[in-house]
Amino acid sequence: MSRTFILALGIFLTIASSITGLVIIPNWQFKALQPIVKLDGTRYPEPYFGEQAKGREIYINQGCIYCHTQQVRMKGYGADIRRGWGTRRSVPRDYLMDRPHQLGTMRTGPDLASIGARQPSAEWHALHLYNPQITSPGSVMPRFEYFFREVYDGEVIPNDAVKIPRGRQASNATHIVPTDRGRAVIAYLKRLNQSYPLPEANQ
Amino acid sequence: MFIWSFALISGITMVWLLAWAIRRGEFQNMREGARMIFDDQEPAGLVTDHFPGEPR
Amino acid sequence: MIAQPLPPAIGPEFEARVEVDGSSRAVVVLFWGTSLLWLTVASLAGIISSIKLHSPDFLGGIEWLTFGRIRAVHWDTAIYGFGGLAASGTLLWLQARLCQVRLPYRNLLLVGGVVFNIGILLGVIGILMGQSTGVETLEFPLWAMPLLVVPYVFIVIANFTMYFKKVTKHTYVSQWYLMAVTVWFPILVLSAEACTNLGAVDGVAQAIANWWYGHNVVGLFATPTGIAAAYYLIPKVIGKPIHSYHLSLLGFWSNAIFYNWAGTHHLTGGPLPAWTITLGVVGSLMMFIPVITIGINHHMTMLGSFHLLKTSPTLRFAVMGSMVYTLSSFQGSLEALRSHQEVTHFTHYTIGHVHFGMYGFFAPLMFAMMYYGMPRLMDQEWSSARLIRIHFWCTLVGMLIYVFAMCYAGIRQGLMMNDPAVPFLNIVRFTIPYLGLRTLGGVILLSGTIAFLINFIRIITPHKYTWATPTLLDSERDWRKVVAKEKEQ
Repeated sequence: MSRTFILALGIFLTIASSITGLVIIPNWQFKALQPIVKLDGTRYPEPYFGEQAKGREIYINQGCIYCHTQQVRMKGYGADIRRGWGTRRSVPRDYLMDRPHQLGTMRTGPDLASIGARQPSAEWHALHLYNPQITSPGSVMPRFEYFFREVYDGEVIPNDAVKIPRGRQASNATHIVPTDRGRAVIAYLKRLNQSYPLPEANQ
Repeated sequence: MFIWSFALISGITMVWLLAWAIRRGEFQNMREGARMIFDDQEPAGLVTDHFPGEPR
Repeated sequence: MIAQPLPPAIGPEFEARVEVDGSSRAVVVLFWGTSLLWLTVASLAGIISSIKLHSPDFLGGIEWLTFGRIRAVHWDTAIYGFGGLAASGTLLWLQARLCQVRLPYRNLLLVGGVVFNIGILLGVIGILMGQSTGVETLEFPLWAMPLLVVPYVFIVIANFTMYFKKVTKHTYVSQWYLMAVTVWFPILVLSAEACTNLGAVDGVAQAIANWWYGHNVVGLFATPTGIAAAYYLIPKVIGKPIHSYHLSLLGFWSNAIFYNWAGTHHLTGGPLPAWTITLGVVGSLMMFIPVITIGINHHMTMLGSFHLLKTSPTLRFAVMGSMVYTLSSFQGSLEALRSHQEVTHFTHYTIGHVHFGMYGFFAPLMFAMMYYGMPRLMDQEWSSARLIRIHFWCTLVGMLIYVFAMCYAGIRQGLMMNDPAVPFLNIVRFTIPYLGLRTLGGVILLSGTIAFLINFIRIITPHKYTWATPTLLDSERDWRKVVAKEKEQ
């Protein structure tokens, strides 16, 4: 009986020590972290709100994380910065508002930590999400055509429609219009931007 | 530096635990423990698994 | 042909074993049977996601089947559906046998097994409908989790009840591992859910909690169950005690101490304090100690008995599992090194490693457990030796194709990714043939599973298969009849 107790206690202590060491202590370390006030008075990072928050939810429920990371490794470790995926390494402060985190561990597709800086154009994102082959021939990304309404030849073209380039039109559709969900995802992707030079990223 | 101190501390703990366990007599009757999966109808030395319906 | 000594006369120990096996029949068959159904679902989901990665238009444009959802379904059904149920069935059967007590709370466990299955089904539907939490390996929506946790608590209680009531004087190695699993798994799930989806910690600390869990669910749930199975099956089948009981003790505790620190290597190079990753790397490297001791123990026990691989299906799967355990653990420890991670992190190499461990080590040991246990539980033989052979070769060949394709493609992919002169889409194009090869590996694995499923359905249906040459079990069956008759009188 007492031996069983010691066995169980030992087994429990192994796991209790690792979660304390790996999760609880770092969490204490991060508790003091606050958003930084930029020169123009705005704060970084800002909370997600409105379309961005909704877009983030869609990013999560579509499972983008299984192919895309949101973390840039430091200079000299991998080629993240040289590939232009970021201007500096990612630091804990970049993720203050992230709940749940979407760091990711797989790069079937490129890193998205600063996709908003790399691809600021909403049109590009719309076409890329609608059919990745339009902007990135050979990509294995799924088509997210359900985020868009197609506008066919002869129909009235709304103001926010995006033209599908000639030669890339798979059907009679000439334009696409993002639905609410499409606009939200694009707003979220455009927001992803870690280019603000946080002081701790240079250490 | 951190790695080495961590390795050293965990190493010492391991040795200490081992010594403690030996003193408590945890290592006696080991042989019997290993044999407890056998019984009178499936004694040590008897192979107990075969492809069904095939000669062995 | 090796001359086989006839089993000695029936004795009280044998009667006790038959009674214990009989008590766990319904529960264990439910757990193992449904685990195979989930393995089939997981394989199908895996094949669909694999095809989508080389032919993105396959089932394209259907939101609930989009890659990011079906991929989550694949892993969650594999680890909780197949892994959770197969490991729990194994735990209950082995613990009852080793403690030599009847399985307690059978009705509660039956209900628990059904609820657990419903929980997974609802979780899967939740993910497909877009309610994934977005935390890897904890994707099931929060409302589905109680349906998994509560039944597992029943299993934990049953396990401890058996252990406290045990008749045997000694504790077998496998039992340490099984006890450990039941302590670790509930703590793991509850604290990981608290730290991620319930929001006890934020941002990067949440990522650490996520990978502390993601690594440990394999290392502290699947792995110990697999090791427990190997420690039981290899000596039991060949009739030879384990090589060194002392080593097994060292292996157990070093595994318990080091494995759970290893998870942070999944975030190497990420925005974490460097010391957390260092801890992960050290933990991973220290894993050489348990892996080598466990390896010595299993392989030295096998030494001199390799000819039995020809005649014993259980042993084939068990030895495949224990050999891959050694290999995949070495691979995993090396993979944790920073220089290695610089290349292979973020690539298909990791996927290859996971499948090497899960389908090369854990799954074969669970299959071995079922091949050994089912005839004893159902009191009848497997119906077809050919189906067993098909299952074995499909598992081995499919797994090797899969792992080779992913690991090779992953290394090349990582090297190219670290060279900024190579355009990203060229890397994608390079991997496509290997992703095709992976689909082939997956289809072979699924074929094996289906062969096993057919055999499994036949063994649980009352049809008796008779053989010209009796297997060991036939003599056992006669004894069971004697025992049953004596009971009636």
